[in-house]
Amino acid sequence: MTQSGISIRNQIRTLRFHHGEMTQQKLADQVGVTRQTVNAIEGGKYSPSLEVAFRIAHVFGKPLEEVFQYVAASRVTATNS
Amino acid sequence: MDMSFEEKSVWIQLFSLVVGLGGYLVVAGLMLSNGVSALPPFVPVFAVAVVLIVAVNIAGHVVAAITNRSDEADERDRLIGCRAESGSSWILGVGVIGAILSLILSVGGVWVAHLLLISLFGSEVTKDVLQIAYYRRGI
Repeated sequence: MTQSGISIRNQIRTLRFHHGEMTQQKLADQVGVTRQTVNAIEGGKYSPSLEVAFRIAHVFGKPLEEVFQYVAASRVTATNS
Repeated sequence: MDMSFEEKSVWIQLFSLVVGLGGYLVVAGLMLSNGVSALPPFVPVFAVAVVLIVAVNIAGHVVAAITNRSDEADERDRLIGCRAESGSSWILGVGVIGAILSLILSVGGVWVAHLLLISLFGSEVTKDVLQIAYYRRGI
């Protein structure tokens, strides 16, 4: 989600691919949210709570920072210049 | 459109409000412009509007439940609900203050009642529109 110069990116699409093309519905069922919420998280339209973020990471067996990355706007600008 | 059960529910509520309460306000406006100044003639019209709202809501939710999974509301639905509520409740507040001021200024009861209804309608419609915007554009 991009909000006030803060961006949280995620690797959920890639991780689903590496887990046998896991469907959004299957991930949603395991995490305890709706498929549309998984879709919104994946598309950067919604930043999940810490609890849901941990649950998603747990489903993939990865540490949180491998699933979600925090990128501040100033860092993005500095990297691009 | 890919919608969760909760989002469909918001669309149904918005539709029922616009049809029911919106329809009532149009009829009430015509009655007021024709000089009806007592509240009792408005009661049956309002009763029809309430029945219409309930009927459309029930029918809409039954269809929505049949046509897709009726997942429980999750944290995103709750957050969207809260944000929309806080972005729309001020309209009802303004209406209530306006109604109190109208009473102080001895405005007729029929006008005060409709000021309250309009503010309730505005508040609920704004809430639904905000919810739909948050679902579509992200939060």
